[in-house]
Amino acid sequence: MAHKRITRTAAVITVGAISAFGLAACGAAGGNDSNDDAATGDAITIEYMHRLDNGADMATVAEITETWNEEHPDIQVKTTKFDGAATDMILKLETDVKAGNAPCLAQVGYSEAPQLYVKGLLEDVTTEAEKYEDNFSAGAFAGMRVGDVVVGLPQDVGPLVYFYNEAEYAALGLAVPSTIEELTADSATAAAAGKYLTAFTSDEATHWLAAQSAAAGETWFSTEGDEWVVNAEGEGSQAVAAFWQNLLDTDQTLKADRWGEPFTIALNDGSLIGHVGAAWEAGFLLDSLDGTPAEGQWRIAQLPDYGAGELTGPDGGSGVAVLKGCDYPAESMEFTNWFNTEIDDLASQGLVVAAKGAPENSEKMLRQFGGQDVNAELATATANMNPDFPYAPGFSTLSAMNETAANVVTGDATVADIFTTAQNTAVKALTDLGLPVAE
Amino acid sequence: MAPFAVLFIVVFLVPIIISVRSAFFSQVPSGGGLFGGGELVDTFVGMDNLVAAASNGAFWAGMGRVVIYAAFQIPVMIIAALALALLLDSFLVRRPAFFRLSFFLPYAIPGVIAAMIWMYMYTPEVSPFIPFLPEGTNFMAPGTILASMANMTTWTYTGYNMLIFLAALQSIPRELYEAARLDGANGFQIATKIKVPMVRGAALLAILLSIIGTIQLFNEPMIMAGTNAWMGLDYTPMMLTYNSMMGEISPSGSGPASAYSLLMAVIAGALAVVYSFVQRKKAN
Repeated sequence: MAHKRITRTAAVITVGAISAFGLAACGAAGGNDSNDDAATGDAITIEYMHRLDNGADMATVAEITETWNEEHPDIQVKTTKFDGAATDMILKLETDVKAGNAPCLAQVGYSEAPQLYVKGLLEDVTTEAEKYEDNFSAGAFAGMRVGDVVVGLPQDVGPLVYFYNEAEYAALGLAVPSTIEELTADSATAAAAGKYLTAFTSDEATHWLAAQSAAAGETWFSTEGDEWVVNAEGEGSQAVAAFWQNLLDTDQTLKADRWGEPFTIALNDGSLIGHVGAAWEAGFLLDSLDGTPAEGQWRIAQLPDYGAGELTGPDGGSGVAVLKGCDYPAESMEFTNWFNTEIDDLASQGLVVAAKGAPENSEKMLRQFGGQDVNAELATATANMNPDFPYAPGFSTLSAMNETAANVVTGDATVADIFTTAQNTAVKALTDLGLPVAE
Repeated sequence: MAPFAVLFIVVFLVPIIISVRSAFFSQVPSGGGLFGGGELVDTFVGMDNLVAAASNGAFWAGMGRVVIYAAFQIPVMIIAALALALLLDSFLVRRPAFFRLSFFLPYAIPGVIAAMIWMYMYTPEVSPFIPFLPEGTNFMAPGTILASMANMTTWTYTGYNMLIFLAALQSIPRELYEAARLDGANGFQIATKIKVPMVRGAALLAILLSIIGTIQLFNEPMIMAGTNAWMGLDYTPMMLTYNSMMGEISPSGSGPASAYSLLMAVIAGALAVVYSFVQRKKAN
């Protein structure tokens, strides 16, 4: 059969060796550049690796950075776009740091930061970063904290919000739900008319349900003395579980993967008229409705109260961290602070900015959301993010929650089981990493 | 010889040695505290990784799946490949070159792309042919997904294996057929009594390659798992290995991942040796 497969594992492992060669070459070139710069003055070069988009209608990272480079001849920033998944980029950064030629700055997801810090890939830049703390929302800044250490500055966030079709809501005689009890009652009304106010997106379970648990006031990872305490099955989680279990049992929520065809089909045929989703979905959720009668009917509201007041949870988002071995942490943070506060340019990327303030709404946003001040609404959600929801090292293994969630949809497991999976997986990951965890 | 030796060492020996070495190492925190001192150090852990890998139920569950998969996929594919090769070699077909290329074409399509094409055909909402099948046909249910993946693999590799058989068939001296005809054998008898026994060696090669490939089944389940989360991250041993390396499955890192790879290599090797031993015994 495939010769290619035989060497796949070897390939994964040799990627390290090979990229070390290739990058040694790049690193050497970079080094030469900065030497040249040094000859002409005190200019330094900072490398910044990201995974942001390059679309035609947006300000690209390279374009935004150009402005900085023109204004700061002595701190030049060289950007590199990494084409690949976050996990691939982490593997690459790991190799680069070992080889001593990692970029100074790299995009790092909030849930990945603790793991990378444990691996020794991130620099402690607490003093440099805290200077800029006031420029960012508290929940987002907390995302770049690893214990007492700050590893970088936040860039974009994904607080959960509620998307809904205002016209359909009005047709059903419903008001926007402000609590999950109301959402439960309204779901029954809508279901009687063949409509769904929510979708249970099992393929997004990990961050989506963790964020809802955070919105219900939970903290999954805390510390007691010198030990990790994992609490993924607390009261808040149980409330979230009960809410979804009821909707699933009564068929009052759309059971569809977020990234599968059925979700889009239900959106397009008008049977799905509401969605609990991450704020960043605003950038593309409604694209398939352009040119249909439903265009401009959708709005964004704050997440209904999950029992902890005006609180929402973090579903994704990332910051820019300083990697181990960076020679210019202070300058790197100075640039990052500038870059991450260029909110209008970042918003054009479809990002929900972590910096304070509401960016201008793009023409597309105004059109798709019927003129609503979307970015102001999202800024409120960002400000309402649970500031006490840190992640622990090994959080990436909680993707096992998706497997349990898929079984929930087929009726082979309960929503509460997903949180049990989270609890067990998190404890196992910490134990396997050799970190102290309270059982 | 020197260019060969250099390439052999760089692209074959070195990766294997690194992989075997890392199976005996683990990255452990350098210090105490909640974040282990913010540094990992490579530590020799002896057989720990291998023991953990060998005692991991998920690994053996995955192994069980690929063995079941191999048990029905390989025979179907090999018989189909042999039948196609015999047809092309039988002078019954006009323009054999055209058919040879057509049968081989699926192999030329990159595995991931092929898997995505099949995904499209298996997805009820967009599939062009599911609407014509009986109500409730589900290609991606726990009970049918192995067969659906086997179908993908068979589609890709039948043509490839056919070429192996065809090459073997065409090296058979034509005089044998003439002699058989003079003795009164018909076309069918020539095929079953002369051709098939003469390609035994090729069949051994094709089956060995298939066994090794199947143990390392990756592209198909990886793409399928993208929309079928119930498959988990460890549906096949290769997926388990990959996701351990990527930090999605704990214990993660190059140590545990290398241990799984090593175990897989040993199992594939053992199966291959057993199979060729049995074959040789039969031949004698």
